[in-house]
Amino acid sequence: MSGSLLWMTTSAAQASPWAVKTLTDRAAEALPSSPWLTLAYLAGSLAALGALVSFLGMSLIYVERKLAAHFQCRLGPMRVGPHGLLQTVADSIKLLLKEDIVPERADRAMHLLAPFLSMSATVLALAVLPYSPSLQIADVNIGALYITAVGGLGVMGTLLAGWSSNNKWSLIGAMRAAAQIISYEVSATLALLVVVLFAGTLSLSGIVQSQAAGWWIWRAPGVGIVAFTIYLIASTAETNRTPFDIPEGESELTAGFHTEYSGLRFSFFFLAEFINVFVVSAMAATLFLGGWMPFRVGGLDGLNAVMGLLPPGGWFLLKTCGVVFLLMWSRWTFPRLRVDQLMRLEWKFLLPVGFVNLAAAALLVLWNLYFFP
Amino acid sequence: MGRVNFRDIRREERLLGGKRIPVAVLPRLSRNAGVWSAARSLLRSMRLTLHYLVRPSTVATRQYPENRATLKFPERYRAVLRLVEEEGCHRCAAACRLCEKSCPNGSIKVISRMGAISGKVELDRYIWRQDSCTLCNACIQACPFGALEMRPDFENAVYDRRLLIYTLNRYAGPPASVLHKEENPEARRKMMEPRDRYGGPVPANGYFLPNVPPLGGAPGPDAAAMDPVAGKGEPA
Repeated sequence: MSGSLLWMTTSAAQASPWAVKTLTDRAAEALPSSPWLTLAYLAGSLAALGALVSFLGMSLIYVERKLAAHFQCRLGPMRVGPHGLLQTVADSIKLLLKEDIVPERADRAMHLLAPFLSMSATVLALAVLPYSPSLQIADVNIGALYITAVGGLGVMGTLLAGWSSNNKWSLIGAMRAAAQIISYEVSATLALLVVVLFAGTLSLSGIVQSQAAGWWIWRAPGVGIVAFTIYLIASTAETNRTPFDIPEGESELTAGFHTEYSGLRFSFFFLAEFINVFVVSAMAATLFLGGWMPFRVGGLDGLNAVMGLLPPGGWFLLKTCGVVFLLMWSRWTFPRLRVDQLMRLEWKFLLPVGFVNLAAAALLVLWNLYFFP
Repeated sequence: MGRVNFRDIRREERLLGGKRIPVAVLPRLSRNAGVWSAARSLLRSMRLTLHYLVRPSTVATRQYPENRATLKFPERYRAVLRLVEEEGCHRCAAACRLCEKSCPNGSIKVISRMGAISGKVELDRYIWRQDSCTLCNACIQACPFGALEMRPDFENAVYDRRLLIYTLNRYAGPPASVLHKEENPEARRKMMEPRDRYGGPVPANGYFLPNVPPLGGAPGPDAAAMDPVAGKGEPA
């Protein structure tokens, strides 16, 4: 196992000139010489995470509203700032100034805790994403497994919110959300495992570097596309987006599990949902679309030179935004699935397809039937 | 895809929960309603939304009030009631009150008087309640003289709701058909007694709304006589 890993690293080192150096690596290196630099790196990482969360939240919500509007033949926010650019800022200020309500017979401690659980699960996932070779906060060597595990933590926030609200519709929404998320986690993991099989490593930056010769979506013939589709569908369900947004069910359950929330703590749920969208898009881009690897074709040096002009961080952003656009496009096109249709889709369709896909991927890896192994 | 022919539905009796229940059995989905056709229809719908996204000409929203200069409403758009004016004269010939009777929620009040010069019943005040009018057009259809019309002037917002109850006619007197027969402008003007917009017995002056003071100043000259509570009701 370690022999093949060595082979993997050497070929990767030959193939890609980018060496990954995460911020925690830099912090660890600085430790013997000056602990203050270490602290500075760590504090800087925290600040960067905070800035990323707020900036992403504001821009994604604005983009969602504008895209939703234009998909529906209307304009979206136009008044607050030029073309409504400051709309989310105004909305955030409004949410912060709202009264914080805890229903009288609600379980107060859990009601206060739930949004923080959701938010922390999201932020934990943001910490290991490979944004660029030099801009990763921490590269856990079980990155893919870590993301799956932390995604499961988010369910706790939802369940706690629905239960503690002392509201039967919130409870129904929370139960549906829990059932949906834990079901679709299985399919998402199966799709993720396909890439792990091909890449030979769970570490996210290792997966990115293994795509130096080509992105897994086409380098893994057939199984790549299928795994990508399964991963996208499962992620849409994981993040409670239409057509799988029955837990929120805006037209059916008021606001589902977050009905009884207002002000800052509601904004946590809202923000967590949008940043989850970013996280799953970033994961899809990392696993299947090459992460921060530019688009390169073997022989065409001119094309490769042009593609190399965009820095790796820019490539990551481009790919993630592409997947985010795809998710938003499908949100505003498809009707909502009923909860039984949703469960049936997962257990009777996506799961068997995922298993067959994984088996086929295993065979392909075993017999080296993919390009540039 | 997914469409079932009515004639293919069969009636069967099945044992469900221990009872024999009549059920309607639909035929199985055909091959045309499978996974691939579903996926194709999903992609087709995505193409439609993309079509709307990339074409700004499909946007249906208009930016008001920036577009006021070019704003056009259809001619029959109903926003405000007016008396039809022919050279400054209205057409209400007899104050017959057909419009008042046809109004479904009593937004019109016609006050008539005996014309001093013509000797016939004339329009004194035509009071319209814009705050309760539903713009249903019944009054226009009811009027036998075509004296009413609806205009598309929709910018009617006010900060004081008493301003929404007002008199539509600018003068109390005979209609255009009588006035235009009179050649002498001096005699014509004698037959037309001017009426202000907010005088009149309707609650615009605050008489009937509790705790609402009158709208600036003394009530109109005909207020006391026309007050249905304190006065004797309108003169015939």
